[in-house]
Amino acid sequence: MIQFEGVAKSYTGLISRKRVDALTDFSIEMSRGEVVGIAGPNGAGKSTMISLMMGFLQPNAGRITIDGKPARQWIEGNGVGYLTELVNLPAGWKVPATLQRMAALSGVPSAEIAARSATMLTRLGLDEHAAKSVKQLSKGNLQRVGLGQALVGDFELVVLDEPTHGLDPLWTQRFRDVVTELRRPDRLIIIASHNLDELETLADRVAILDHGRLQRVVTHQTEERSEQLAWRLVLEGSVDVAAVIPGATAVAGREGTWRCVASRRELSQGLGALLAGGAVLVECVPEEGRLESAFRAAVQR
Amino acid sequence: MNRDLSKLRYLRYHALDVAKAPLLIFALVAAGLCVVLWRFSLKENAVVPGPDVFLSMTLAVVLTVACLMASGGVAGNDIARGYYRSWFSKPMAPWWFYFQRWVLGGLAVLCIPAFLGIGLQLAFGKGTGLTSDVFAQTALVYLLVGGTVLLASVFTARDWLITFFLTFLQAQLENVSRVIELPAAAEWMHRVLPPYQMVGVGSPLPEGQKLTHVILYGVAMVVIALVLFEKKPLGSGGRA
Repeated sequence: MIQFEGVAKSYTGLISRKRVDALTDFSIEMSRGEVVGIAGPNGAGKSTMISLMMGFLQPNAGRITIDGKPARQWIEGNGVGYLTELVNLPAGWKVPATLQRMAALSGVPSAEIAARSATMLTRLGLDEHAAKSVKQLSKGNLQRVGLGQALVGDFELVVLDEPTHGLDPLWTQRFRDVVTELRRPDRLIIIASHNLDELETLADRVAILDHGRLQRVVTHQTEERSEQLAWRLVLEGSVDVAAVIPGATAVAGREGTWRCVASRRELSQGLGALLAGGAVLVECVPEEGRLESAFRAAVQR
Repeated sequence: MNRDLSKLRYLRYHALDVAKAPLLIFALVAAGLCVVLWRFSLKENAVVPGPDVFLSMTLAVVLTVACLMASGGVAGNDIARGYYRSWFSKPMAPWWFYFQRWVLGGLAVLCIPAFLGIGLQLAFGKGTGLTSDVFAQTALVYLLVGGTVLLASVFTARDWLITFFLTFLQAQLENVSRVIELPAAAEWMHRVLPPYQMVGVGSPLPEGQKLTHVILYGVAMVVIALVLFEKKPLGSGGRA
């Protein structure tokens, strides 16, 4: 569906003439039916990549196409459910009116605008804020209105830039449910986020950017059983984990708590031996997510 | 979902915005002016101008400001504040969106003489002072002033300020040119800047080459602005 081919974008200071390469030789292909995550540290080029895709910026080199058409041309014909990183909507607009206007712009038929906007208000828990104007909303509620205006058009392409920014834990979880509901074979969902847990949970694959370059694409398919991950184990009583998992170290001051670096296969074999010997497992958790460890490796920090 | 992608689907919201902001203000100001004139006429020995004179005098003062109010800060603000990211992620072309809004602003400006004329008729019952020339001059002023605003709005949210400065500069050049011969650079500027001095309610409607010059200049500004809205990327950075 979307194709970035050798895309580059740089900004040049108006007075200093200093050039900053925001995106360099960036190529990726994204298809319908996928949820693609975009991760990267601050200034990695995530927002520039999205702005280029939306046609709000012109690349210095390369090509961006959607279904074979120039991105801007495709968007003006089809539309995108786009949640901006900073939700900007006119301060004086009432919440329902905002969604109705965005529904009209999205091409929702006139007869359905009111009903669809009302459904979106309820879906995003905004009913109690219906009498408020945009300027009276808290950060989290504004974020939900931003999400509502993106989703009210029911588009094939959904782009969410930092979607859970400002949301409380309850709505962060609810957002994950919303994305799960949004999944469709004919829809591509792109999520740019700093929240690696969120991307690991929601995305089929995650593109990691740093210094304007695509460093790595992590997919469920590329998960390797031999991948070495850090684990924390808690067992009842005094058990010598190091005897079965080489390199395991006891965490000082915490009885029965061990840390080890092992592949899933090595860990499973070690745990099997421990449990067969009568050990009681209390907890076994990765010290960092698979995506988090890939992220660290990709950005080398 | 079956989409309604008609080009005019957002027009009612544009109309609502125009009705709430410039149009309502225009109506209130026109009504206020008519009431002031009516109260003044009740005084003994008051010399009240005829409707046509009052209309010309009033429009000469308020028309440029009204055009700035009707067209100013629309596209420029949307771009500067980042609203455009929400608007134009939807299936809508920027040039068409802003053209509709600009035309509605023009219609609101054309309502000013109508409001004043109706007010005068209600106050004095002696006619409205409205002629086709009044509306034609009003439309030409909007074409030039509103056209300048639209073109400036591609680049800045201070579109109205730039336009105000240009109208002021052109007026000064025109005034000076009537007294002395302008230096070459000033003369060149006088020719190149939009010909605001050629239009205005109260002065004769331009004809022939002058009229063509005014219309072509105005239309060119509008067309260039619309082409730029379509061709020039609206963003200036990842987030901006």
